[in-house]
Amino acid sequence: MAIETHRSPRATHGSSREPHRSPRRRISPARHAPLIAAVLIGLLFTLPLLWVLAGSLRPGDKVLAGLESLSWRSVVPTDATFHNYVTLFQGDFGRAVLNSVLVAAVTVCVGLLLSATAAFGLAVFDFRGRGAVFAVILLSFMIPFDAIAIPLASTFRAWDLQNTYAGLILPGIGNGLAIFLLRQFFLAVPRELVEAARLDGLSWWGVFRRIYMPLSRPALIAAGLTLFTFQWQSYMWPLLIGTEPAKQLGPIALGTLQGQMVVDYGQVFAAAVVLTVIPLVVLLRLQRYFTQSIAGSGLK
Amino acid sequence: MRTGLPTRRRPARPTRPSRPSQGRLALYFLAPALLALVLLRLLPALMALISSLRHHSLTDGVTRFVGLANYADLWADPQFWQSARVTLLFSLVINPLQVLLALGLAVLFNQRFAGARFWRSLVFAPIAVPPAVSAVIWGILYRPEGPLNAFLGALGIPAQPFLTSPEQALYALIVLMSWVGVGYWMTFLIAGLQDIPREVYDAAGMDGANAWQRFVHITLPLLRRPLSFVLVAATVSNFLVFAPVQLLTGGGPDGSTNLMMHDVFRRAYSVGDIHYAQAEVVVLVAVTLAVVAVQYRLMQGKGEE
Repeated sequence: MAIETHRSPRATHGSSREPHRSPRRRISPARHAPLIAAVLIGLLFTLPLLWVLAGSLRPGDKVLAGLESLSWRSVVPTDATFHNYVTLFQGDFGRAVLNSVLVAAVTVCVGLLLSATAAFGLAVFDFRGRGAVFAVILLSFMIPFDAIAIPLASTFRAWDLQNTYAGLILPGIGNGLAIFLLRQFFLAVPRELVEAARLDGLSWWGVFRRIYMPLSRPALIAAGLTLFTFQWQSYMWPLLIGTEPAKQLGPIALGTLQGQMVVDYGQVFAAAVVLTVIPLVVLLRLQRYFTQSIAGSGLK
Repeated sequence: MRTGLPTRRRPARPTRPSRPSQGRLALYFLAPALLALVLLRLLPALMALISSLRHHSLTDGVTRFVGLANYADLWADPQFWQSARVTLLFSLVINPLQVLLALGLAVLFNQRFAGARFWRSLVFAPIAVPPAVSAVIWGILYRPEGPLNAFLGALGIPAQPFLTSPEQALYALIVLMSWVGVGYWMTFLIAGLQDIPREVYDAAGMDGANAWQRFVHITLPLLRRPLSFVLVAATVSNFLVFAPVQLLTGGGPDGSTNLMMHDVFRRAYSVGDIHYAQAEVVVLVAVTLAVVAVQYRLMQGKGEE
């Protein structure tokens, strides 16, 4: 369907129905087809989320009730209550969300510092073994983390890092992809700028902090997003290493909620909303950088 | 000061001896990250490899080197092949499906119409949903008395078993994974579409190419790089699907959703044979890297001859 309607304004004026090719003329029966398709598809993708949002505002025993008569009321709670959220945050889940926020925030800060300095080292200096270092970085993100999570978990247990914040955070801070993204961006910083700064007596750390950092805001945001999503979305690692209720992360606590004997769907939905809204706000606000980073990375 | 010239490894004129060399400087900046990458990525990969060559004997409690014995056992293990078959079927369905849907959506949402950005962000929204959360949401959607069956009922279609049926469970997982994945891959393809210069389309229009011809002869070839990236990245991430299996089906019913990542986890923790599980990890990583290499070759080669 989408292919049939591939008639963006810039491409329409060559269609066979219009021999005189006036760029202003876009009258065709299919004119509104893209819009209609977009609305339908958009709603289709959002419907599960709307239903979850509505369910989170309903009493737990009513979430699955009334389904035999589907109506607009299925996605619009007419008797909205925040009761589920209140109960949820009184239990272990509130702790788990705070843990998730803490782990993600520390990962982004430390990870960005580590990645940016490494990218700077790779992009600015010329040294023997640069190729080898670059290969290590590429290899490190070619090996999927989830696949090595099990051997790494054995090591972390041996180091007594199980059920510690350090144990939860550490795997997220070494991110080859973030280094790679930043390096690509750093390579575009004009050399003259660096040389001028060096002649003015700025140290290399100063060059990094005063020139590269401020110039690279978009790339830093993109790399930060990479680090954030890695931690916020991870499931296997916290399942392996954060088993104690006090050190559980959001997704694990959600799994526990759902695995209970009597499932309170209202609370499960409220938890799902909380764990989704936080990254959703971040992603929608930074969507621009997200796509930019990919466009500029040379990965495509 | 000459050390500031990064294009040369050795400065032409000798520098003051107190100045650290470029290599030393680079090391200062690189060391923390390199240490993290080696300790947290490469070393565990190496350990998996070594550990897969060992075996822990329950009779005498000793762990010893057994060479490729674990791999030989794996090769002869019908459970492993069952899991490999499921993973293969899953990959063969989900990857083309996701790439085609993402391409269709990218083409659609790259057009200009009222509120295009808003409708696009609705498709984009599920990206934010963590895998564990999407698994739980869809687990409830798929329930026998859940909303999907209510919807089917309204259409006069009998209730479907979804996750409890060996025939449907894998496809139910494919739908749930695609709900999140498609919007993600779409964004890469939209970025690629926006890089195609309009003049190319205008020129083709002058030559009388219709929409389909423009799509096949302009859009597809010029989208080759983003498309190959999406195909490769989707394949890797779909090889590693774990959260929905662990949370929803536990590999069942009848092993129909026993994807390899879950099989590894099960062997390591339910069966408790960590060395055997590591052998399967090594196989999984090797297959992943091989498939990625082949796909890159194919996609890069195409259109260049």
